[in-house]
Amino acid sequence: MTTSSHTGHAQSTDNYLTFTRGIKSWMFTLDHKRIGVMYLVSVLASFFVGGLFALIVRTKLLTPGEVSWIDADQYNQAFTLHGAIMVFLVIIPSIPGALGNFVLPIMLGAKDVAFPRLNLFSYYLWVTGAFLSVYALLAGGFDTGWTFYTPYSTTTETAGVIPVVMGVFVLGFSSIFTGLNFVVTIHKLRPPGMTWFRMPLLLWALYATALIQVLATPVLGITLLLLIIERAFGIGIFDPGMGGDPVLFQHFFWFYSHPAVYIMILPGMGIISEIIAVHSHRQIFGYKYVAFSSIAIAIFSFLVWGHHMFTSGQSELMNVVFSFITFSVAIPSAIKVFNWLATLYKGAIVLNTAMLYGLAFMFLFTIGGLTGLPLGTLNVDIHLHDTYFVVAHFHYVMMGSALIAMVGGIHHWWPKMFGVMFSEFWGRIGCTLVFVGFNVTFFTQFMLGSQGMPRRYYMYQPEFQTYHVISTMGAYCMALGFFVTAAYLLHSLFFGKKAPANPWGGRSLEWQCTSPPPHDNFSTTPSVGNPYDFSDVRWNEAEQGYEIDPNAVPSKDTH
Amino acid sequence: MIHLLLQAPSESTGQNALMTSAPVTPADFWLPEGASTFAPQVDFAFQFVAWISYFFFVLVVGLMIFFAIKYRQKGREAYARGPSHHTMLELGWTIIPTILCVFMFWFGFRGFIDLRTPPQNSYQIDLTAQKWAFNFRYPTGAASADQNLYIPVGRPVKLVMRSEDVLHAAFIPAFRVKHDIVPGRYSTLWFQTDHVTEGWNDSDPLKQKFHHFFCAEYCGKGHSGMYAKIFVLPQADFDLWLEKQGRWMDDLKGDELWQVAGPKLFGRCASCHSLNGSAGTGPSWQGLWARASGGAGSDGKLDNGRETYTSLIGPGKKFENPESYVRNSILNPGDHIVVPYGNVMPTFRGQLNDLAIDAIIGMMKNLDKFDAKGKYIGGAPIAAK
Repeated sequence: MTTSSHTGHAQSTDNYLTFTRGIKSWMFTLDHKRIGVMYLVSVLASFFVGGLFALIVRTKLLTPGEVSWIDADQYNQAFTLHGAIMVFLVIIPSIPGALGNFVLPIMLGAKDVAFPRLNLFSYYLWVTGAFLSVYALLAGGFDTGWTFYTPYSTTTETAGVIPVVMGVFVLGFSSIFTGLNFVVTIHKLRPPGMTWFRMPLLLWALYATALIQVLATPVLGITLLLLIIERAFGIGIFDPGMGGDPVLFQHFFWFYSHPAVYIMILPGMGIISEIIAVHSHRQIFGYKYVAFSSIAIAIFSFLVWGHHMFTSGQSELMNVVFSFITFSVAIPSAIKVFNWLATLYKGAIVLNTAMLYGLAFMFLFTIGGLTGLPLGTLNVDIHLHDTYFVVAHFHYVMMGSALIAMVGGIHHWWPKMFGVMFSEFWGRIGCTLVFVGFNVTFFTQFMLGSQGMPRRYYMYQPEFQTYHVISTMGAYCMALGFFVTAAYLLHSLFFGKKAPANPWGGRSLEWQCTSPPPHDNFSTTPSVGNPYDFSDVRWNEAEQGYEIDPNAVPSKDTH
Repeated sequence: MIHLLLQAPSESTGQNALMTSAPVTPADFWLPEGASTFAPQVDFAFQFVAWISYFFFVLVVGLMIFFAIKYRQKGREAYARGPSHHTMLELGWTIIPTILCVFMFWFGFRGFIDLRTPPQNSYQIDLTAQKWAFNFRYPTGAASADQNLYIPVGRPVKLVMRSEDVLHAAFIPAFRVKHDIVPGRYSTLWFQTDHVTEGWNDSDPLKQKFHHFFCAEYCGKGHSGMYAKIFVLPQADFDLWLEKQGRWMDDLKGDELWQVAGPKLFGRCASCHSLNGSAGTGPSWQGLWARASGGAGSDGKLDNGRETYTSLIGPGKKFENPESYVRNSILNPGDHIVVPYGNVMPTFRGQLNDLAIDAIIGMMKNLDKFDAKGKYIGGAPIAAK
């Protein structure tokens, strides 16, 4: 039954892209694949805007003093916008919203998510949040930093603070509904044979992510409402002048925002598990270890928020306890890296664009993870806190890991999503530019930070200039890499070769339907096996793609 | 248990460690020169973590590159056989990192307890942070006139810090210390350094050595300019310096008051007020005296346009003379806001005495004798500091 779907001859006009036509058929679609594509376009547009603000910030930092084309207030707004856009509009919704929506039901063998209407509503909540952010920008901007720390955020004169906080509040609900949808889908819509331990690791990661989204995001919502109440009505919650406590805001904020770091990185880890296994054509090493480490990370993520506050004035005892628990998060993260490494061992590795992004992720995440260790070490963190070291660390994790995984995932599923192949030659060039640019940009920032350069500085001491100049050059290189990437991906949409059903040799269910998938994903309920047992996968020269040999004897590989 | 540890300062922090302990840690690839007594401890923990990181980085990336080259796909090979798990290996890479993490935690914890436990005999300096300046006040009641932090060598110093407005943070990279300054509560920070900063009283600023004192918590427009220098003085020099701070303006005769004291005091105003007419967070001082005394610009708008300089200042009006207006604007900045600026200036009540205000007014009256940065360029020779 699955063989008929990947013969290529079956690829008619009836795929999800051509199933119905017209703008309304997209705007009111309940198809998880179309909603995923709409998320993808929206998130990438936001990424472009957030990236422009990053370039403005980096260009200012070429010189230590004042410059004529941007003053301190405008600079503060630029880095605030860069942070807020990248966190709330790009990274948090990127993988679950765009790739998760597209592949989760297909990987699971389902026709759609559990609540398709709620799914569309999530997307429009995202759009509403984005418009509120744009409105905030037009209404006078905001210069609070993406962390909205009080009492600065309740007293600053920029008029856009309340609109953008409303925007983030709405975006939070978009995230909660997506998470809820995924939890219910994974629990209820698994077809016969799809046991928990036959789920691809991306689904475990998305499940762990969804748990955090549902449990942590409401706290952000409450915190932001309290902030609005204080700013708009002068009710003292965080302002000590009115009997409040500014450190309380930090506790509330990080109680969400630390788990949010794992909302960003866990789906990326899931994608990497897929990419590494498929492009090594080999059973993933330690499936259960990787699956349970996702759940362990999700649980630990709720217990470590205080490590953002070692210098805030919280009690010394709390600092010590939070430092101790923080180190426990290092273990499941390390386990994942070692398991990916062991998956490469004795594989059949293809160094195509998607895999290069996968290996880039391992390189960057190793640095991002290891530089978390000095930040968890109490007395060292006191020195490094609020410096460029922290900036470099979280860019390695949030951009170098989460976003690079997203870009890798886009390349991995691009043939599936749009039915076309992109240029591998330009793909590798783009990946190299991004990888080199990224390291030049952010590795220099580790040195800046450990030598004492504080973050969020418009002007700085002249001794730091060399590093800042190198860092800015890296940012330009990275921008070039992303433009190359955008160019060949767009080019492939119009001129790309037609994609086979299974271009990489994947064994999970999405590779068993046509590229692009039909509206209903599967005409018949697919047969479910071990998603990492590649023993029955064969190369089909005529199709220039892989296929599953129906006569193959199942391998004895188990988890 | 924590409590017991908190009460037991380590041997390197006691008063008998004077001048002998803890050499300065040299600058290296990562860290700047360390000048405080706990810099060696912090640097050790940093290097310990760093070497563990180098090891694991080389291990992971080295194996990754090796495997990626050695196990390249041959032809269109679609299935490679490799082990799917290995219990001992998996236990190994769970347990070994866990043990290393316990060591890292322990070094960080020990160092942190020392960092947060000021010795009983600490010399206390009060720090008031505001947008965008640090104000240091010494036990004698004197404030540091040039806004820089002067400390005695070889003696534990404790900063008791409070904020007038939003969050700030005190950060001294050379001392490896940092702490937020939170409005509504007192925060403390302590350190000791056994090394004098050379050339601290050299008249050539290029020959002065000093440590940076940064604001590390984002606080708005002037955040990156919220900065002080730290000079470490021998005890005797420090005593002399401190005595001078209390009465440094008393010795100034006649015009010396605004010629010498004006520029020093202006340092605190410069983050918001320019001297060359360019708009800052507050109005420029250029032309201010003319406006206030009925000359050009005296029709400038105050209080959202309800008042002008002329309607407020003059015989029989709210301010009898321009001096009274300027004085009130320093002590009660919110009374009459110049259009189009916001009500953001903090009060300087209790920080500037009458003599200091006289010096500022004198400077405003003679602004043509100062350059754009507030340096006195009038001809008359000035007495030494």
